[in-house]
Amino acid sequence: MTRLAPLVRPFPVRLPGSSWLAAALAVILAAGACAPAREAPVGAAASAARWFGDTSPPPDNVFRFNLGAEPETYDPGLAVGQPDGRVARLLFEGLTREDPQTLEPLPGQAYRWEISPDGRTYTFHLRPGLRWSDDRPVTAHDFRWTWLRVLKPETAARYAGFLYAVVNAEAYNKGELKDENQVGLEAPDDSTFVVRLAAPVPYFLYLTQFYTCLPVPRWAIEKHGNRWTRPGNIVGNGAFTLDYWRQNNRFEVVKNPRYWDAASVKLDRVVGYCIDDLNTSFNLYKAGSFDWCPSGYFPSSFIPYVREYSDYRHGDYQAVYFYSICVKKPPLDHPDVRRALKMSVDRDAIANDLLKGSRRPWGNFAPSGYPGYHNPPGIPYDPPKAREYLARAGFPGGKGFPKISILINTSEDHRRIAEAIQAMWKRELGIPVEVFNQEWGSYLQATTALQYDVARRSWIGDYLDPNTFLSCYVTGDGNNRTGWGDPRYDRMLREAAKELDPAKRFAILREAEILLLDEGPVIPIYHYSTNEMVKPYVRGIYKTPLDIHPLTRVWIDREWERRATRVAARKAEAQGTR
Amino acid sequence: MSLVGFIFRRVLIIIPTLWVIATLTFFLIRVAPGGPFQSEREIPAAAKEQLLRKYGLDQPLHRQYLSFLANAARLDFGPSYKFPQRQVREIILEAFPVSAELGGWALLVAILVGAPIGVIAAVKQNSRADYAAMGIALAGVSIPNFVLGPVLVLGLALTLYLLPPALWQGPESRVLPVLTLSTAYVAYIARLTRGGMLETLRQDYIRTARAKGLSEPVVVGKHALRLGILPVVSYLGPAAARIIMGSIVVETIFAVPGLGRYLVNAAFNRDYTLVLGGVLFYASFLMVLNLLIDVAYTRLDPRVELA
Amino acid sequence: MSTATASVVAEQTLASSRPESLWADAWKRLRRNRAAVLSAAFLAGIGVAAALAGWLPGLQDPTLQDLRLGATPPSPSHWFGTDELGRDTLARVIHGGRISLMVGLVATFVSLLIGVSWGAVAGYRGGKTDEVMMRFVDILYSLPYIFLVILLLVFFSRSILMLFVALGLVQWLTMARIVRGQVLSLRQQNFVEAARALGASDAAIIFRHIVPNTLGPVIVYTTLTVPAIILQEAFLSFLGLGVQPPDASWGTLVSDGARVLALFPWLVAFPGAALSVTLLCFNFLGDGLRDALDPQDRRDVA
Repeated sequence: MTRLAPLVRPFPVRLPGSSWLAAALAVILAAGACAPAREAPVGAAASAARWFGDTSPPPDNVFRFNLGAEPETYDPGLAVGQPDGRVARLLFEGLTREDPQTLEPLPGQAYRWEISPDGRTYTFHLRPGLRWSDDRPVTAHDFRWTWLRVLKPETAARYAGFLYAVVNAEAYNKGELKDENQVGLEAPDDSTFVVRLAAPVPYFLYLTQFYTCLPVPRWAIEKHGNRWTRPGNIVGNGAFTLDYWRQNNRFEVVKNPRYWDAASVKLDRVVGYCIDDLNTSFNLYKAGSFDWCPSGYFPSSFIPYVREYSDYRHGDYQAVYFYSICVKKPPLDHPDVRRALKMSVDRDAIANDLLKGSRRPWGNFAPSGYPGYHNPPGIPYDPPKAREYLARAGFPGGKGFPKISILINTSEDHRRIAEAIQAMWKRELGIPVEVFNQEWGSYLQATTALQYDVARRSWIGDYLDPNTFLSCYVTGDGNNRTGWGDPRYDRMLREAAKELDPAKRFAILREAEILLLDEGPVIPIYHYSTNEMVKPYVRGIYKTPLDIHPLTRVWIDREWERRATRVAARKAEAQGTR
Repeated sequence: MSLVGFIFRRVLIIIPTLWVIATLTFFLIRVAPGGPFQSEREIPAAAKEQLLRKYGLDQPLHRQYLSFLANAARLDFGPSYKFPQRQVREIILEAFPVSAELGGWALLVAILVGAPIGVIAAVKQNSRADYAAMGIALAGVSIPNFVLGPVLVLGLALTLYLLPPALWQGPESRVLPVLTLSTAYVAYIARLTRGGMLETLRQDYIRTARAKGLSEPVVVGKHALRLGILPVVSYLGPAAARIIMGSIVVETIFAVPGLGRYLVNAAFNRDYTLVLGGVLFYASFLMVLNLLIDVAYTRLDPRVELA
Repeated sequence: MSTATASVVAEQTLASSRPESLWADAWKRLRRNRAAVLSAAFLAGIGVAAALAGWLPGLQDPTLQDLRLGATPPSPSHWFGTDELGRDTLARVIHGGRISLMVGLVATFVSLLIGVSWGAVAGYRGGKTDEVMMRFVDILYSLPYIFLVILLLVFFSRSILMLFVALGLVQWLTMARIVRGQVLSLRQQNFVEAARALGASDAAIIFRHIVPNTLGPVIVYTTLTVPAIILQEAFLSFLGLGVQPPDASWGTLVSDGARVLALFPWLVAFPGAALSVTLLCFNFLGDGLRDALDPQDRRDVA
C-alpha cells in the first residue's frame, strides 16, 4: 500500500466541546447577573419596601446568623475578638447588661449599685434568687473569684488591663503582688460586691458589661479544666446555654430556663455559623439560611447594590481604619515626612468613590459620637502643602526618597485601598511605594516587631469613650506598634485620667489628639460604619455604635407581612385623605 | 514475594520517612517568622511568658524536638495553639471525615464521568468525538475552582434557588461542592484512561479478540478496559491524598468544615501543633493509600509482581 | 506490467519505505492534530501580545486609576470594561498574561533543570544512589505542597522570584521520576556502551547522550507543566500569596473578579476566558505532542 493516499481531509469546522461548555456557563452567568433578586414587594403603596432574597421566616423560633470567624475560646475571661465576645454575651451576664439600642449599662445581675462621691468605690447589689444554669446560686463570691482569675498572671487573660483601675490590680497581674486579698475586690456577703478603684474611671460601668468581666463558674473550671466550655460541661448565667458546637462550622444555644429574665426571652434557639468568606456569607443570607448578616460579613462591593433594600442598615461604628507609620527607620522618623504622607491621602476619593460612600472619610483618630467630646479638625487633604513638607525634610519632588512598603493583610478591600494610596503617593509626592500583602500571622508579627514601613491598621472602641483610642499611642503601649512616643502626649493622657471634671477632661484629650494628628504615626483614612442586613421578620436587633447586639430581646415576627401591609395601607390612606 | 512480606517491607520504609518529614516540618515552621499567641491587641509580658511556659515554647529547641517526637509516637500532638481548648488529634479526626466524604464523592464522579470520556476518546481516536470529549474534559481543568464554584452558586443556588449555596447540611448541599471539586479530576482521569486504552487497544490480544468475532463493546469493555484503566488506578493514590489539600478552595467557598481549610489556616496562624499533626497525618495517609493502591494494582495486572 | 512501470512502482515503493526519523514522523503526526496546531498558533499569538504588552499601540496604562469611574461594563473606550479602581481591564489582562506566562515558563524551567538532572543522575547511576535519590523524591511527594509554598513565601520574601522558585520546586518531582524511568531503559543501549568505551565521563554521557534521548517525554511533560503552574499561581492568588500589587497576573485578576461575579461579571469573564483558553491550548498541544511522539502509535494498515 503506498503512502501516497491522500491524508488531507477537508478542514473540519469543529468547535471543541469546551466552547459549548463556555457558552453554557455564559448563559448561567448572564442569568445570574441579570436576574433580579427574589423580591417580596409589600402592599400596593408607592412606598413599597423591597427585601433582599428569600424572606420566609424559619419554621421554629430559631435565630440564625453568621458569627464570622471561629471563636478562639468560649471562656469570657480569655476572650479576645468580636466572635468570642458575641458567644460570651449569649452564655453569661455581667453586673450590668447593655441596652440593645444605646448600649448604656442597665441592671444585669446587679439590680442596683452605689457609687461613692469620690468615684472610687462601687457597691453592687445582686438580684435575689439568681441561679446558674445548673441551679447553683450566683453569688458575689463568683464575681470576685472571676475578676481575680482574670488578673492572675497564670490565666494569661489578654484583657486583664481593663481591670487595672482596681486597687493593686496591675501589680497583682504583673506578678509583683502575690496576695490576692490586697486587690480592691470584696464580697462582704453573698449578694454584695464591692469594687475599689485607685482612681475614678468615668466609664467603669461600661467595663462591667464587657466580656472579660462576665462571671464564670469556679467549680466547673476546677473540675473540667480546659474542657469546661464544652456542651455538657459548661455552666452559665446568661439567657442561653450551649447545646451544640462543631468547630469551623457552627454552634447552637438554647434558652436557659434559669435565667432571671427568661420570661422576656422569646427565642428558643440561636444558631451561629462560622463562615469567614464574605461572599459565602452573603449568599447564605440571600438564600434565606441566615436571618441576620452582621456588619462586615458581606463584601463592601455589594453595598451600593443592597442600599435600596430595606434589609440594609447603616450606622456609625466606633472604629477607625488608619495606616500606622513605623518611626524606627529614616526617613519616616522625621515628622515632616509623616506630615507629607498624611496630607497627600485623598480620603474623600477613597471613602466616597472607591468605597462608594459606604464609609465616611475621616481625618481624626478618635471616632465621632462620644457625647461631650468635640473632635479637633482632622488632617486636611493638601498635596501642595504636603510637597512643601517633603521638600523641607530634604526630598524635594520625592528625589532620593527610598522605596517604602505598605503592609496589609490579605483581603481585597485592604488591597484596593492600598493600591489607591500607593498611586496617590506616587502621583502627589513622586515617591516609590510598594504594596506588601501578608497573611494574618505574618502581618501581626511584622507589626508587633516593628518590621514594616507603613501598615494598615484598624482600631475598634471597647467602650464609649475617646480614651479607648487615644491611650493606644502612649509610649510603649502594647497596641502602639510604631515605636513612636512623646512625653508631652503621655503627660496629657495621665492628666486626663486624673481629671474629674468631664469637660476639662475632654479638653485635655482633645489637645492630645491634636498632637497625635500632627506629629504622630497615624494616617486615619475612614470612619467605619456598621453595614448589616436584617430580614424583615426579625425584631429586636438595632444598629449600635460598638456593633454589640444583645440577643435576649430578639424575636421572629411571623406576621411581618400583614403588619407591613397594614402600615403601608394606613400611610396611603393618610396621604389620600389629606 | 508474599503479600505480607511486601506490606511489611513497605511499613519499614514508611516509618523513617515519616520521621524525616516530621523533622523537616518541625524545623521549617520554627524558622518561619512569627509565632502563635499574636493578635492585634497586645498581651502583657507576664501573660505571654505564662503562655510560652504552658506550651513548652520556652524550652531549648532540641528539647522541644525530643518531646515532640516522644508525643508524636503516641499520636499525641497536644492542644492546638490557636484553639487551646481542643486537641490536635481531635480536630483532625473531626475534620477528616468531612474532607474524605467530599473527596470521595468528587473522585467517584470524576471516575464515572472521566473514564467513559476517555474510553470514547480512545476508541474514536483523532475523530471529532475524540476532540469533543477531550475538550469537555480539559475544560474542567482549565477553569479554576474558584471561578466555577461561584458561577454554579450564582446560577443554581441564587437565581434558580435549586440548591443551597453553601454549608454542609443535608444531601442537597453535597451537590455543588462535589461538582466543583470533581471537574479538574475528570480531565486527568479522562486523559489517563484515554492513554491507557490507546495502549491496550493496540495489543495483540485485542486483535485476537476482534478476530474471534467478539463485538466491539465486549472487546473494549470487557477485555481492554481491565488493563486500560490501570493508569487511573495508580493515579488514585496521589489524587485521593491531594484532593484533601486541593479542596481548600471548595471548602472556603462552600463553608465545608473540612481538613484542608484547617491546615491552611493553621499555617497562616503559626499554629505549630496543628501544622505538625496535619502534615504527619497527610503524609501517612498518602503512604498507606499508595500501599493499598499498589496491592490493588497487582491484583488487576497479572504481569506486575510485587517487587 | 512493462518494465518501465514496474521500475516506477519499485521506485515509489522504495521511496515510501525509507524509514523516517523519529522527529519527522512526530512532526507529521502532530500536524495532523488540528487542535494541537490551532493551540500552538494561539499560544504563539498570546505570547507575542504578552511580550509586547507595554509597546502595543493604543493599549492603556494598566495602573492608571480613576476612582470616580469605578467599575464600568465594556464600552467603546474600554473594550473589556474597567475594574473597581477604574483601571482598564483589557490592559490588565494583557499585562497579566505577561506575568502569568512568565511565571509559568520560568518556574517550569526551574523544575526542568532540577528534575531532569536529578532523574538522569539517579537513573544512570542506579543502585544505591538511585534508591537514595528517589527515596528523597518520595518523601517530598508526601509533603503537602501548600505548606511548603506558604512557608517558603512567608519566610523568604514575596518577590516574584521567590514565586518562581517555590512553584518550580514542587513540579520537579514528577519530572525527575519520568526522566529516571526513561534513563533506566536507555542506559542499557549500545550507544551508551560505546560512549563509555570511548572514555567519556559519566557526566558527559548523562548530559550529552542520554538526556537528549529523553527529550520526547520531557517535552510533553513540560508543555503540560506550564498550565499546571499557571493554575497553581492562580490558586495562590486566591489565598493572597500570589503576585503583589500593582502587578497582576491572570490568577489575581480572576480570583478578584470571581468575588464580584454577581456585580461585575466582565471582571472575571475576560481574564477567565484568557486564562482558560490558554490553559486549554497548552493541554491540547501537550496531548498532541504526546500522541505524536509516542513511538508505538503506528497507523495500522488495516
